Amino acid sequence: MGFTAFVLLLVFFVLLILSVPISFSIGIATLITMLMSMDLTPAATTIAQRMAGGLDSFALLAIPFFVLSGLIMGQGGIAKRLIECAMALIGALPGGLALVNVVSCMLFGAISGSAVAATSAIGSFMLPEMKKQGYDPNFSAAVTAAASTTGLLIPPSNILIIYAIASGGVSIAALFMAGYLPGIMVGLALMVVCYIYAKRKGYPTAACLPLKLVFSKVLAAMPSLFLIFIVIGGIIGGIFTATEAGAIAVFYAMLLSMGVYREVKVTELPALLLKSAETTAIVLLLIGATTAMSWLLSFENIPQTFSDFLLGLSENPIVILLLINLVLILVGAFLDMTPAVLIFTPIFLPVAMQLGMSPLQFGIMMILNLSIGLCSPPVGAVLFVTCAIAKTKLENIIKPLLPLYFSMFVVLMLVTYVPWISEAFPRWLGL
Amino acid sequence: MQLLIKYVDKLLSTALTTVMAAILLVVSWQVISRYLLKDPSSVTEELARFLLIWIGMLGAVYAYRTNSHLGLNLLLEKISLKAKRLVLILIQLLVIGFSAIVLVFGGSELMQLSLELQQISAALSVNMGLIYAVMPISGVLLIVYSIANLLALFKGELLDIHTQGTV
Repeated sequence: MGFTAFVLLLVFFVLLILSVPISFSIGIATLITMLMSMDLTPAATTIAQRMAGGLDSFALLAIPFFVLSGLIMGQGGIAKRLIECAMALIGALPGGLALVNVVSCMLFGAISGSAVAATSAIGSFMLPEMKKQGYDPNFSAAVTAAASTTGLLIPPSNILIIYAIASGGVSIAALFMAGYLPGIMVGLALMVVCYIYAKRKGYPTAACLPLKLVFSKVLAAMPSLFLIFIVIGGIIGGIFTATEAGAIAVFYAMLLSMGVYREVKVTELPALLLKSAETTAIVLLLIGATTAMSWLLSFENIPQTFSDFLLGLSENPIVILLLINLVLILVGAFLDMTPAVLIFTPIFLPVAMQLGMSPLQFGIMMILNLSIGLCSPPVGAVLFVTCAIAKTKLENIIKPLLPLYFSMFVVLMLVTYVPWISEAFPRWLGL
Repeated sequence: MQLLIKYVDKLLSTALTTVMAAILLVVSWQVISRYLLKDPSSVTEELARFLLIWIGMLGAVYAYRTNSHLGLNLLLEKISLKAKRLVLILIQLLVIGFSAIVLVFGGSELMQLSLELQQISAALSVNMGLIYAVMPISGVLLIVYSIANLLALFKGELLDIHTQGTV
């Protein structure tokens, strides 16, 4: 790896620790490293060109659309009906409200691409309700944070699109299909923990609803769930691209929230557009900066050197995959998921592929792994959101999170060592 | 300075909202023209891609203005107010340096190069130099906001940093 890689890493870490925004840290570290072997003009021009080139992609356009549709869906109406549907179906089981929380997050994840949107949309309904029924608010907050990450695996998912770009061209449709089974498995694993916890604590069980009411609640959620058929069906059927599906999701969400449920006003739209442009730009600047850095990395042959180093550590692929997972869990605890995927995909994917792992399986493994980091301190976006809604402190929800982490880790190991879980569904569809 | 910042704020947020709405309409038109009009548009994909570059760069400026870029802010939460102010000043200087060298200088070079070489886009026939103009523009805006931040920091104010999740 040599001196270049050392300088790059050193500058990046120093800037990161100084709280310089990650995208600027990457850009500045790249610039300084390049200046060691290049004149100012070519270095500055190359970085500017790579940044602009990194943003120039039709696939990336799906991100602002899914961010926007997530924002619109999070405004109410849709989330409420999904929760009522889940409540009617499984609310009467022991620990019913916790289970409803998980299932609602999964349903919300199946129509939106964002865990943060799911956390705030589902959490702001479910957390007060669970408190009213006597659930420990720390446990409820932990469940919401963990469950919201299922939406990152269950398509549509923004982070899977970002991975598709970082990996250099894995099919978005195939990734979307690959995420279903692992996402549902995480949801089920979390529900097992909730069930045991609620039984032990003796939380109240709701009465069964009359069948007629169950039917009407499920029916009321149908227009929202229909979005799955439009978006996923459209992509799988080759009717439109993921980007076009995103635009259609926005219009459908607008139609439901503004036209049918009337819970979002037209006058609120400009603010939502601006918010989605902002979130998108945060992601895009990261993509632009890492594109410049990736160019430098491959120019210096760093991924290859790193891959040789890692493969030299052990003969046993099981050990190396475990090692990659442990590093990623550590990374995920400190870095937000987008920069983590952008920085570590080019480094770890070649290693995983040499061990015979498909880019599809690696992507799902990585996202699931980083999902654990997303709901673990010190840095975890969904954690902050749930804590704010539940009005509790970060340190209080760590204990109830532990069994949830454990169940997620079990699924992570299954996904890591059983390729079938990620690959069966896309293969069956011929993707 | 404050008046200037107010105008830039207004201009930037209006531009972003408009471009975001435009991008949505352009991609929708792509689907409509293909399925309903049976006459697929040849320019929508390229236009949407170019608008995205603009959203990315101008939005990055806006996110910088609202202090919402992702960062590892553990240090800022731990240190004294005085040290915090010093670190924040250093961050502004670093951002000014990066914006000046890469975005303003490198971006202008890139833009001039494309203009001189007549690098024309395939579908819309626009010169790529015009698309790349967003790089120096956003660089200048970043410098303006950094200077405004510096002035506020010197006056004794602190920046209210609230990074948000992206996923």
